[in-house]
Amino acid sequence: MGQQIVNGLFLGSIYALFALGYTLVFGVLDILNLAHQAVFMICAYAALVLVVHLHMPIFAALPVAVLAGGLLGMVVDRIAFRPLRGRSDSNIAGLISSIALATILEAAVLQFFGPDVERFPFGTVPTRSIQIGGAVVSELQIVIIAIAVAMLLGLTWLLRRTRLGRRIRAVAESPKAARVLGVDVDRIISASFFVSSALGAAAGVLFGLAFNNVAPDMGRSVELKGLAVIVLGGMGSMPGAALAGVALGLLEVFTVAWIGSSYRDAVAFGVLFLVLVLRPRGLLGPAALREA
Amino acid sequence: MSLESLQDLWLTYQSTVAFIGLNGLLALSVYTTLSCGQLSLAQAAFMAIGAYASAILTFHSGLPFAVNLAAATLLPALVAVPLGLPVLRLKGVFLAIATIGFGEVVRIFFVNLDYTNGALGLTAVPQRTSIWMIYAALSAALFVLWRIRGSRAGYALEAIREDEPAARTMGIHAARYKLAMLALGASFAGLAGALEAHYTYMVSPSTYSFTRVVDMLVYAVVGGTSVFYGPVVGATFLTALPEILREISARVGLAPGPLRLFVNGAVLLLVILFLPEGISSLPRRVRAWLRSRREAHAA
Amino acid sequence: MFASVRSLAATAVALLALPTLSAAETVKIGAAFSLTGNAAAYGAQQKAGVQAAIDDVNKSGKLKGITLELVLEDDATSKEQGIAVFQRFINRDKVSAIIGPTLSTTATAADPLAQQARTPVVPVSNTAPKGITDIGDYVWRVSLTEAQVIPSALKVAQAKIGFKNAAILYGNDDAFTKGGFDVMKASLEAAGIPIVDIQTFATKDRDFNAQLTALKAKNPDFLMVSALVEQAAAIVSQARQLGWNVPIMGGNGFNSPKLMANAGPAAEGVMVGTAWNKASADPVNQAFIAGQKARGNDPDQFCAQAYTGVLVIADAIAQAGMKGGREDIKAGFAKVKDLPTPLGKFSFLPSRDGNHAAAVQVVKNGKFEILQ
Repeated sequence: MGQQIVNGLFLGSIYALFALGYTLVFGVLDILNLAHQAVFMICAYAALVLVVHLHMPIFAALPVAVLAGGLLGMVVDRIAFRPLRGRSDSNIAGLISSIALATILEAAVLQFFGPDVERFPFGTVPTRSIQIGGAVVSELQIVIIAIAVAMLLGLTWLLRRTRLGRRIRAVAESPKAARVLGVDVDRIISASFFVSSALGAAAGVLFGLAFNNVAPDMGRSVELKGLAVIVLGGMGSMPGAALAGVALGLLEVFTVAWIGSSYRDAVAFGVLFLVLVLRPRGLLGPAALREA
Repeated sequence: MSLESLQDLWLTYQSTVAFIGLNGLLALSVYTTLSCGQLSLAQAAFMAIGAYASAILTFHSGLPFAVNLAAATLLPALVAVPLGLPVLRLKGVFLAIATIGFGEVVRIFFVNLDYTNGALGLTAVPQRTSIWMIYAALSAALFVLWRIRGSRAGYALEAIREDEPAARTMGIHAARYKLAMLALGASFAGLAGALEAHYTYMVSPSTYSFTRVVDMLVYAVVGGTSVFYGPVVGATFLTALPEILREISARVGLAPGPLRLFVNGAVLLLVILFLPEGISSLPRRVRAWLRSRREAHAA
Repeated sequence: MFASVRSLAATAVALLALPTLSAAETVKIGAAFSLTGNAAAYGAQQKAGVQAAIDDVNKSGKLKGITLELVLEDDATSKEQGIAVFQRFINRDKVSAIIGPTLSTTATAADPLAQQARTPVVPVSNTAPKGITDIGDYVWRVSLTEAQVIPSALKVAQAKIGFKNAAILYGNDDAFTKGGFDVMKASLEAAGIPIVDIQTFATKDRDFNAQLTALKAKNPDFLMVSALVEQAAAIVSQARQLGWNVPIMGGNGFNSPKLMANAGPAAEGVMVGTAWNKASADPVNQAFIAGQKARGNDPDQFCAQAYTGVLVIADAIAQAGMKGGREDIKAGFAKVKDLPTPLGKFSFLPSRDGNHAAAVQVVKNGKFEILQ
């Protein structure tokens, strides 16, 4: 029981990490950035290269990968989203151009690294564990949960207390109004992509460390769950995404423990479906225009 | 060019020809719901329902193949109606996500269904599909969509796509039309699923994953969704592309897998950025460009 | 765009200008492996295996005057591509025999084409007990099925550890891992060992803590795992991380050095039934390993089986009186007997399934060792 709660919290933190950046772009643009999972994956590879080939310690490689992720996010915006802005079908078109970009990035990784699963070298992170009331918790798991919480707090601070944050919120509210107020909307959107993708990059590196798994398809393994999380949390809501991430993690773990692992994903996606039908604004989403 | 080598050429590429037809039908199924502005990503689930229905009937009923195909066409539509009633109230991306959720639940249902061997699926499904059947089905689907286009229903659909609230104030039953198109798209997918099952000798849940739906959507978008035949053009181009790339990759010595992925992604990106109406709009665009050049010359 | 159109045209011309082959000189062997997609980790090893085998056979002069030519294609771990590749092999390249495809699922869709076209197929990694050689009399399987490997591996492990009950963890949305599970369950039942719990996961999963915790709570003596190698390493690592030291035996997916590369010390003691006894001192096996090392490849079972596939075809050609036609090779297969291969002495069973000794390996100091 105790162990399953730890498992659920840990899995939930991973989902939350992935979903925070995902939901930020949705909140600003009302567009799903399906290239988020590719940024997540590429940055795990970036950190891997830094650690393996340049022999950097992981605490130095992580920020470099995060920075690279942020910059890549700006490129994604420039190529896949900005040209489509203002087009009547920009919702679906953006969805598709981000799929296209994700495919290209995945092809590049396949060409250079091949399809095999790679891992960070042994000893990159400590592997000690501690016992908390009968449950085994690894130090890495504690660090990851702590980073997830720190990121949520940092992002909330950024959005509420800084000039950039206020502008991002203004653009999210109404790009037109923001423009009238003298905000450079394109720049703010670009900055949102930087923040979002930097978060995605951090999630990718931590995911790779946590599961000893860096592979071209690692992004796909969380893509759909991440989608479920941002819907459950209420799209565009940061605390909602964090809460829903943990909720989904616990839901999955206890489905395994009580109902059976074969039904875990059916329960997860069934709940997603019901939430959309019954309470489309999710846990903490704005009571807004989901329905026609 | 001898008759024999022509025959070899046909034998070599007949499966490509078959899959062009099947993928065309699948692209049309996405297009059908898209034609009133609704993005449904449950098409792989409908495909699965059609495929399993037809395979099970073939194994256990002894009914003629045509009857099985009819069942595979109708059953997904019957499932689409109760699904559509709640989810079609959702807009845009939310509808897409809800239908992704539904699709995953259906796939997991088949993974857990012992009656159909779970993930192993049904194997040794008798091969009943001939290529002419695939193209007959594709033509029928195109015919239906062509008839709808010029009709009152067609104008209603267009009105719903352009501005749904306005269409409703004009007295158009938007909900009914959306539901009808979802059901029609579902039946196209179910028919394609059944035809594919009896062409590839097997049905297994992994065939009906999220990736498959994304493929269908990509066919439709690359081909263009402003005309009813656009999705078929896209499916034809993208299904033939791997065969062309195979030749190229052998010549330039690149690994075929990553190259195929890369070109797929690049084509999709270029089309969405520079040809928003898809490659089916290319001839029109070229003609317009030539005309403007002639006029520039004349002036 | 123009370049590709021109290249297509060039290809079409080349196709039509294809001369009729003088079969006595060169025999074409098609190999369809998953070089991309989910099973690409296995495909890479298989590619290395067939390439080496073709070179070795040609250099050995065993086929007096006949040269084997390899046509390698990627089935992309997909049925659709698998079918397309088979049609090319059969009708355009006019190969005499086909090796592959990598996964049983692809084989179920593609092999019937070869059967119809009377072209011999040699599966070298399809381990599904049913549905492969059932396709027809042109399908001659080199790889041992899970049903041939797991029961004997279980017996060896039982004698070593003496467990009283067992639990199973498997990937339930993949045909390969589900097939392995079916055999594990049947073998445990046949051996009269109670199964205390069964848990499942999905191919895309990376986190197995919930399932492992649930299994651990039932406290089984022995854990059997049917997973692809990507997940195998993660499952083993996470079990040990949870402080659970139950003996683990894996299915065929565990048969890769990637297991130790990715799980590290956690892989120590993991057992797996194998078709290839890597430690065998047999000279054919030692020469095979040395050849792979010289090519910069650390071979695994999939490599050895693919290598053997080519040897078996070459022997069939020899048995048919140095004739490399499709019917000749098919007739030759029936006469292959006790052929020396890296897998040991190889023959076919009447069911056209391969037959040779299986072994059990255990991970020791980061390497597979044969469990005696």
